[in-house]
Amino acid sequence: MPQSFHPLTVADIRSEIDGSATSITFSVPPHLASEFTWRPGQHLSLKLQVNGEEQRRSYTISNPPGAPLRITVKRVKKGCVSNFVADTLKVGDQLEVMAPKGRFVLDPQALGHRTHYFFAAGSGITPIFSMVNAVLADEPYAVAHLVYGNVEAGDILFEAELTELLERYGDRLTVRHVLSAPSMWSWFTPWRKGRVDAEAIQAAITETPPVAQDVHYWICGPGSMNQDVRQALNGLDVPNSRIHSESFGGEGAQDTSVSGVASQVTVKLLGQTQTVAVAAGQTLLEAMRASGLRPPFSCQSGVCGACIARTSQGKVHMRSRVALEDGDISKGYVLTCQSVPTAEKMTLTFEA
Amino acid sequence: MTRMYHLMPVEAYTSQDWFDREQELIFSRTWRYAGFVEDIPEPGHYISVQAGLNNIFIVMGRDHRLRAFHNICRHRGTQLIRAVGKTQKALTCPYHDWTYDLEGNLVSVPDEEREYPNGIDKSCLGLKPAAVDVWRGMLFVHPDPNPPSLAAWFGEVDPHLGPHKPEELVEYPEARSSYEIKANWKIVVENYIDVYHLSHLHSNTLYMYDHAKAKYGWSGPHYHFWEPPTEEYGANLEKNLPSPRVIPEPHVGAWVPMLFPGIGLGASEESWNVFIITPLGPNLTRIENRSKVANVSGWEYQKQEWSSWGFWKDFGGPKYEGDDVASEDDPMASGDFTAEDIYACEQQQKSLASPFLEIGPAATGESPITNHQRAILEFMKDHEK
Repeated sequence: MPQSFHPLTVADIRSEIDGSATSITFSVPPHLASEFTWRPGQHLSLKLQVNGEEQRRSYTISNPPGAPLRITVKRVKKGCVSNFVADTLKVGDQLEVMAPKGRFVLDPQALGHRTHYFFAAGSGITPIFSMVNAVLADEPYAVAHLVYGNVEAGDILFEAELTELLERYGDRLTVRHVLSAPSMWSWFTPWRKGRVDAEAIQAAITETPPVAQDVHYWICGPGSMNQDVRQALNGLDVPNSRIHSESFGGEGAQDTSVSGVASQVTVKLLGQTQTVAVAAGQTLLEAMRASGLRPPFSCQSGVCGACIARTSQGKVHMRSRVALEDGDISKGYVLTCQSVPTAEKMTLTFEA
Repeated sequence: MTRMYHLMPVEAYTSQDWFDREQELIFSRTWRYAGFVEDIPEPGHYISVQAGLNNIFIVMGRDHRLRAFHNICRHRGTQLIRAVGKTQKALTCPYHDWTYDLEGNLVSVPDEEREYPNGIDKSCLGLKPAAVDVWRGMLFVHPDPNPPSLAAWFGEVDPHLGPHKPEELVEYPEARSSYEIKANWKIVVENYIDVYHLSHLHSNTLYMYDHAKAKYGWSGPHYHFWEPPTEEYGANLEKNLPSPRVIPEPHVGAWVPMLFPGIGLGASEESWNVFIITPLGPNLTRIENRSKVANVSGWEYQKQEWSSWGFWKDFGGPKYEGDDVASEDDPMASGDFTAEDIYACEQQQKSLASPFLEIGPAATGESPITNHQRAILEFMKDHEK
């Protein structure tokens, strides 16, 4: 299974929103072109050396398929990778990059007569931006409505690009900016002040109701936003099967409130079955690696989804679950790098 | 020996067996017109429509999304809702008050514990979903919840149907009508697409358009037709249009397609109309007409009426006059092209039962008729498997 990193050369670096974010474009050599195709919403895992230490991170691809391979990294206070990328990385540098991954994807349907509502906040726009582009370019009968929350106008990522899209696709796209603390000195007038909350969602849907029956809702934002938007949609009788979300934590946003218990875990990996003892507080991935197994993994931060496996017995607590959709979790999928067992016996299967 | 009407046996126009097979193989397998988008203006509103053998209803949820379901209670099969109406959050069958939410889930069974002591799995008893989609401001339903895309179904013929945007027009309520024709639905379709008859049956009614310059053809099973204004009408068209334009200049003419099966449209510079053909029996067909016009002020209409008065004041007239008129209400003396068409259809249907009937050769301007028969035969063959 191709879980390997490939060296890619940085072709372009662009500072966004006054240096608060950085877009990096990679050049992909022809022999890697097929491996580095992606679906709108997927992300890249990077491996880089910062101050002599290896760091792994995943970042969403912010361009639609077919366009240059680009990620957009928001600067995080004291974040070692995001600051390195913004301040030290140069055009021509090489980074170790894993092929695109991720289950939060929008596959365009050429004949789909769909209505898409996108709810994004902050840098949660990155996968959404890629999806909006894909819908406009490759789903000619579909319409897209974006509701985009930020603190103030200066935080809006891809503002120029969104304006261009509106000029080009004005009959199939609406963009609504929601600002929680707009600056008094800004000329920018948001659609609403406040947060992307139930009221804003209801207003957006009433102003631009869906075309027919095939409607999808895509959410990507930090913290509790995904849950809040989902609840607001459920309140309007939107079924969960139509809601797709990916949470977007800052670096280190983990729920460590549950420590887990010691557990005997039956692991099915590459056709082999083996029992692994997991100590209390140890993640499934840590325990498997300590016992000599070589399960797939990459970012170790719950973002990339490389370490995904399915539980058929026993439960876990996941410290972070960015890479999984709710539907995945209800089917028993877990991120082994983020999971501590909460049952004394478990069965874990790596499917791919 | 089977008597033929061009490519089809005459029996296809008269027998219950053919009617039943068409209901099953055509009208239960295609997208069915259900109304205008504005017929379901807000959450809770619903309408139902017969699509071949299926009664399907469309309802708007609180998320403003349209859903379509088969109008069948999962208990004993009773039709749940009547034609049009409004509900809040639930749909209740009148028979035993089984209640469904707007997602089709069965949410309540009265006296559940007493009537079903061994329990009842409500999760398996949701309403059966159908499909609904929108095209050119019209609602369409399909009995199959995962049907072929509506965009693909009409995609190829769409560019031939004129630059109209019906969703931006307003309905002209006085033009809404529904009536029955005592003829097979195919006779009505054939009349609609017969180019040859325009200059003859309608010699005194539809002569503002130049039938000799008509352009027509087929995209799959869908027929498209366009003809320009006559020289006399077109020379001063902007002045002569009876009401304000619904399409931008320099577009002119009449677009009169017949989409499959039996979905007639009629659009011109100043209006956009539907002509929906529903078979009721081998010899009986229902027509529903609705009309949309420009969304402008009454004053604009008044001005256009004044400016065009000179052209229309002497326009039109009856086909028969004097001794040829059979009675006071003779359609041939009505000067109304719809009455002329109904008359022609019913007079033709009457002869189909006669053993002496022998259909003459199809004219060039009747090639759409044989093409329509071919489309029906092919569609039925493809769906018979």
